[in-house]
Amino acid sequence: MSDDPPLPGPLAGLRILELANETGQFCGKLLGDLGADVVKIEPPGGEPNRRIGPFLDDIPHPERSLSFWYYNTSKRGITLNPETADGHQLFGRLAATSDVILETFRPGVLASLGLDYESLSAKNPRLIMCALTPFGQTGPWRDYASSDLLHMAAGGEMASSGYDGADAPNAPPIAPGGGNAWHMGCHFAYVAIMAALIYRTVAGQGQYIDASIHEACALTTEAAIANYIYRGEVLRRQTGRHHASGPTPRTQFRAKDGAYVCALVAGRLNPKYVRDLAELLDTNGMAGDLKDPKYQDPAVIAANTSHIIDDLVANFIASLPAEEVYHAAQERGFTWGAVRTPEALLDDPHLHDRGFWKEVEHPEFGRSFIYPGEAAIYNSSPWRISRRAPLIGEHNTEILCDELGLSRAELSVLAENRVI
Amino acid sequence: MSRPRALENIRVVDFSWVRAGPWATRWLGAFGAEIIKIEWPENERGRLPSTTTPQNLEVNLNTSGNFNDTNVNKKSLSLNVRSAKGLEIVKRLIAVSDIVIENFSSRVLQKWGLGYRELCEIKPDIVYVSMSGYGHTGRHHHYTTFGPVAQAVSGLTYTSGLPDKPPAGWGWSYMDDTGGMYGAMCALTGLYHRNMTGQGQHIDLSQMVASVPLNGPALLDFTVNGRGSRRPGYPPGNRAHWPGTPLVNNYRGPTVAPHNAYRTHPGEYNDWCVIVCHTDEEWQRLVQVMGAPSWASSPKFATAIGRLQHQEELDEHVETWSMTFGKYELTERCQAAGVRALPVQSAEDRVKHDPQLRHREMYLEMEHPALGRHKVQNAPFKLSETPASNHLPSPLIGQHTKEIVEGLLGYSHEEFRAGFADGTFWPTKRARFPYMEEMLQ
Repeated sequence: MSDDPPLPGPLAGLRILELANETGQFCGKLLGDLGADVVKIEPPGGEPNRRIGPFLDDIPHPERSLSFWYYNTSKRGITLNPETADGHQLFGRLAATSDVILETFRPGVLASLGLDYESLSAKNPRLIMCALTPFGQTGPWRDYASSDLLHMAAGGEMASSGYDGADAPNAPPIAPGGGNAWHMGCHFAYVAIMAALIYRTVAGQGQYIDASIHEACALTTEAAIANYIYRGEVLRRQTGRHHASGPTPRTQFRAKDGAYVCALVAGRLNPKYVRDLAELLDTNGMAGDLKDPKYQDPAVIAANTSHIIDDLVANFIASLPAEEVYHAAQERGFTWGAVRTPEALLDDPHLHDRGFWKEVEHPEFGRSFIYPGEAAIYNSSPWRISRRAPLIGEHNTEILCDELGLSRAELSVLAENRVI
Repeated sequence: MSRPRALENIRVVDFSWVRAGPWATRWLGAFGAEIIKIEWPENERGRLPSTTTPQNLEVNLNTSGNFNDTNVNKKSLSLNVRSAKGLEIVKRLIAVSDIVIENFSSRVLQKWGLGYRELCEIKPDIVYVSMSGYGHTGRHHHYTTFGPVAQAVSGLTYTSGLPDKPPAGWGWSYMDDTGGMYGAMCALTGLYHRNMTGQGQHIDLSQMVASVPLNGPALLDFTVNGRGSRRPGYPPGNRAHWPGTPLVNNYRGPTVAPHNAYRTHPGEYNDWCVIVCHTDEEWQRLVQVMGAPSWASSPKFATAIGRLQHQEELDEHVETWSMTFGKYELTERCQAAGVRALPVQSAEDRVKHDPQLRHREMYLEMEHPALGRHKVQNAPFKLSETPASNHLPSPLIGQHTKEIVEGLLGYSHEEFRAGFADGTFWPTKRARFPYMEEMLQ
């Protein structure tokens, strides 16, 4: 590592106001980690999702929520109740000097407070406002209640994920791990905000964005929609592999250590693949009859697909730990992988080479913790976590006094009146 | 009058193929960037093999339904970049473009002489987004991925499933969709930075690495609390917590019950509804929706901890009730009372039955020259000034070769014809489509 001062991120110079709950906070994190000055505005006392666990040392406390920590890095934090007259006025002043407002209130809430886009942009025509809500600002489901699980159901993720009957009889569709409905909504919201920011660099004008999490989820099931639109097919769920209109060979195999390996073999079995596969299996003496020249005939391969996959590949994988299979296969050009736990990634040397893991200081505890870092390396304006999540109202003085010019005495009055 | 476009006058040289890269450029195109897809008929696996060609059409390079949906808003230049002449043409194209995006394995563009340094010599402020499996940096940069492998290696597969069962994983290439989103995010972020500073850059995106931060809270639970994910009751299926196991948060919001998928009438494959109660008050609302059955008044279900402890019994009761309604009627009854409930929806459900997606015009029809008229997926956001739109069907392979080579790059028609004769624009031994013959006239 060099001692040069860190380069600014690609979004340096942008001021974002984030009024976001669990549904939109990841979008604010992305903007902040990429260099924007994200000011998170929480209700006095803090965002309710500070109450979501797990907590540091399993001690519940709004400053110890690991979920809140993770999704709120690189932000500054103030408390403000825009429903009070003072809060309303302060919010208006912040909005006048901001580039983007990201908000996740229920449709109509900000308008009822006189803080709709028309009012705010009248004083700041360059303002971009993104409302990210479960269903968007219009439509019959507009006011429906939701949750991560609900979106995975209605968005189609669950209809595609689950088990073969043989693995888990009568299993329901399975929603993959938590939070991904929010991720999907936030990825699309980020794209929309960036498009608006780029347009503003040319046209000088802001705009309003109505983004829907349900639509983002409905867009994130690969070819399922195309299979229906073009062929009328509804796909079936299969253990650890793609949905399909009819059963396909398994791709998930148990290794010697009990972990699984994802080995994509079916559909790739041509004579060259079989030769390479025989060599791979032979590294552990498990090639069986696969080196027999008869397997250079595509017809013989086709007739023996089940033997190759369910006997030879399965037995090879069962003879070695999953990580060993993974690396041996990849080094020989096979697109296979170990099914790892999240925490196994801490030991992945490739991630260390990329400087992926970040040590984030939490000075109030006198400790620092390891956080996952960035998806991509930007070579001239780094993507990087700049600070831990804000404490409740941590930057009230810095932002409301030092930047907006309130006196300390006024700040105290605002606190007493539950404005901040 | 046509609306302004956010990415007007932005040109993208798109080498991407299969799914993740094309999904990225689809969104840049929706905002009005000119996407020039560089293709060669032998190796765009997004076109062939096709499993989404309508049953009444011949499977060929132009009839994949999924390719159409993934590649709307683009133009196609068929070009053999592996030939000296093709490389020269692509360099002239890059010189008048803003973004280069590709999702080959990590050393392909360098081998072609189109690494970031060479790209800068051609176009000093180019924004170059590489979307490889493991990235261009790091010892395993030569490893390769498909979505399911990136999901497995990154920990995403493991966190989906029932306890004591193999991972259920994701039933599709989530990281092709999401890797594509990161590709679009990186391109737009790099472009914004260029517009503000005049400086381009190389953005080295990795599909596998991009998957890891999607498990953030689980990772912090390990790095902070030392709690690993090989533990009883994890992953907890659709529940927030698996009964009979230690009471810990499983990273899907508050630890509550009911929180599950329940069968609905008539019990077909996708007849399920999910119901979640975050508070006692929401639970009491559900009790009212269920008609206040006597079992629900039992004190063991009155508290959050009680409902978690007796979740098996609770879920059985709820499902006995849910089986008496269709999933849409159940949803409406619950939501009218302020109870969180939504149906499990197949693709057919989303396209045909979802009233919200219909209202929001999620699927609008579009004419494609080979496929005919079909619905295409729309954007999940509405911008007041520069809306995203599907304005071009996916290109036929090489459909815009003449327009780009002659019109944009200024080659003569004779040079264009010579490029067909010598295999630069189409393999000499491969049959040409009729629209190619028209271009050559």
